[in-house]
Amino acid sequence: MTAEAAPTQTFAHSGKFFNVLGLALKNAGLTIITLTMYRFWARTSMRRRLWSRTWVMGDPLEYTGSASELFRGFLIALPTFFLPAIFIFYIAPLAMEGVWAAWLTFGFYVFSVPMIAAARYWMRRYQLSRTRWRGIRLGLAGSAWGFAAASWGWWVLQSLSLGWYTPAARINRARLMWENTRFGDQPFQFIVEHGESPQKGMWLPFAMGWISFAIIVVIAPVIAGVISAYVSMTYGESIDPELLTYVPVFLVLGVAVIYGIGWLVCWAPYNAAAMNRIASMLTIDGARFKLRAKTLSLLGVTALGWLFIIFSLGLLAPVAGFLQVRYVLNRLELIDPPRFAEIGQSVLTDSNAGESLGDAFDLDMGVGVI
Amino acid sequence: MQARYADGRAAIYTDVEIDLAPEKLVIRRGDAVIEWDYADLARADDKNGLIVLKRRKPDTGERVAFADWYDDQLAAVAPRLMKSRAQGVEGRFTVGALVTLAWSLAGLFLVGIPYAADPMARAMPEKYRTQIADISWSQVNAFTAHCDDADEATQILNDLAFRIMERSQVPEREAIWITIADASFPNAFALPDNSIIVTDELIGMADSPDELTGVLAHEIAHIEHNHIMKNVVRQIAAGVFFDVVFGGAGAGQAIAIASVNLAGLRYSRGDESDADLRGMDYLDAAGISTGGIARMFDRFEDYAEAEGAGDIPTMLSTHPASRERAVAARQRAREGLAPSLTDREWRIVQQACGGADLTNEDTPANDVEQD
Repeated sequence: MTAEAAPTQTFAHSGKFFNVLGLALKNAGLTIITLTMYRFWARTSMRRRLWSRTWVMGDPLEYTGSASELFRGFLIALPTFFLPAIFIFYIAPLAMEGVWAAWLTFGFYVFSVPMIAAARYWMRRYQLSRTRWRGIRLGLAGSAWGFAAASWGWWVLQSLSLGWYTPAARINRARLMWENTRFGDQPFQFIVEHGESPQKGMWLPFAMGWISFAIIVVIAPVIAGVISAYVSMTYGESIDPELLTYVPVFLVLGVAVIYGIGWLVCWAPYNAAAMNRIASMLTIDGARFKLRAKTLSLLGVTALGWLFIIFSLGLLAPVAGFLQVRYVLNRLELIDPPRFAEIGQSVLTDSNAGESLGDAFDLDMGVGVI
Repeated sequence: MQARYADGRAAIYTDVEIDLAPEKLVIRRGDAVIEWDYADLARADDKNGLIVLKRRKPDTGERVAFADWYDDQLAAVAPRLMKSRAQGVEGRFTVGALVTLAWSLAGLFLVGIPYAADPMARAMPEKYRTQIADISWSQVNAFTAHCDDADEATQILNDLAFRIMERSQVPEREAIWITIADASFPNAFALPDNSIIVTDELIGMADSPDELTGVLAHEIAHIEHNHIMKNVVRQIAAGVFFDVVFGGAGAGQAIAIASVNLAGLRYSRGDESDADLRGMDYLDAAGISTGGIARMFDRFEDYAEAEGAGDIPTMLSTHPASRERAVAARQRAREGLAPSLTDREWRIVQQACGGADLTNEDTPANDVEQD
């Protein structure tokens, strides 16, 4: 009668592809017939499925969140986000001078940058507070607006440095997130060995990614232009003129596809290095982590996830989330387990605002992977 | 029965004995005995190979876990815990309520508000109408040019329109003003401030004054029946609905922004039919044959076929097929009526914006097959 046995590895994900796909398809159908109102229930059931198949030292994680909490968060977001947005986008253009309405819209978008970061933090806080292992709750301390302000500063530095600050920003964000993360009453820590760079092992793959993607950005339109010129010179007279009018569309689509594939391939080594590096710096009660993400396997999993998202118009995004979670967990190791008997229940207060803004910005593509 | 128990105070499980008694789950840990009523319990496992039980409220973090090969025994004493609801899965009632809520909202925003769009549009403050008109004019100015030589032609068309409106007692007759614009496309459309724009290309497309007059009558009817502002209300309702229901994904914003742009000033099929009928009423009352607008509908259909659907003029871009509209107009046509403009007036109108010269046989109008 035992459908699935608990894995023996320290970390493992026992989710079966078709089991998750079936739930994702059911959720997609209900989401469509409820005009997306089912999305809170879909998200909750998918998290429950993914969490319960996540095993740590033979015991599963547990997701205790409910759809009604998410729905309540959405209702909270109605006056705090949607009504201002409706005013700015619908009423202001009619009721105000055009210039002022435009400034208001611009201000809204500028304010959205830190707001998205804060929303991400709130979302993580909610998810952690609804995650238990062996009955002990996880949590996220710290200020969402503090994280938002810091993120905004790093985003500015990334922009000013043409992206070269990205590895540092990624580590900074991870540090701020993880140092505020709690398992019960134990904080996670982010420890850098003395004399080591926090970005150790990340700069070379980042430089390779940056340079190779820059080359692709420049070359792709040129190649597309050359192919287009060749086709129109060689076959120009024999091709239906109506078909020729679609050439610019094909060109733009072709360049977009090349950019997408280029992005995946160029940044895969950096992403694998960054994930491994962040895991290696995490500790809890003296225990260390080791992640063995590899470029090619990560590339394959990410590309497969993208395909699911693109061809299902986002409806099967949870499957992509599942593939990523399973990939990470099946490659994660724990060195020197913590003293679990010493870890007590969390004292952080529960997050009760749901994921209101996270839903508004659609930050998690329907799953919310911590 | 062997099981494991977590007390919710430390991150460890300890081995315990449990007894699935008829009313209660009995947990024996050493000498200590803990009893949980089945009615207070929920599942925390989502069928992952274990049965994990927890107390519902408050959730103290206590858990009892045992292998799921005992599910028959559990089902015998606590069948509720074997149902999906115990795992947190919503029932049919919830799904039904969501479907009802979603479609009720859709009905309210996409049917109810459009149905009440006329009174809502009329209640809209004048400054909103002016603001929308300003946005529309900025679009018009971006795609058309002012004609320096069209003053006399403009006056002729406005006198003609006023004559038509006076016969039918159109309430907005004092406020409506027709402007001829220099553009690269044939078009005519009404704006929220009761302006009607007619492009020189449209004038060039007409082969007789009655054809152009029919178009003007159609646009006047849109204004009299407040179709423009009704359409804005409808589109904003749709925008708000999509924004709220779909979670701020931006589709709603796009619709609302489009609604105050020229591209959004497209009417529903009902509005178009309404404007057709009312416009022909004007013509009948003014003693102008509807044969002109019938020929114009045919001309637009030919144009649409030649240029592709994307280039159909706004006036005729909505659903009713132009051929059918032409037939309807032709059925009402009367013979032997005088043209709506004199030859001299028509010649002046045609020459607006450096337009069609009557001596030039290559005008677009002459390229179009006549009725």
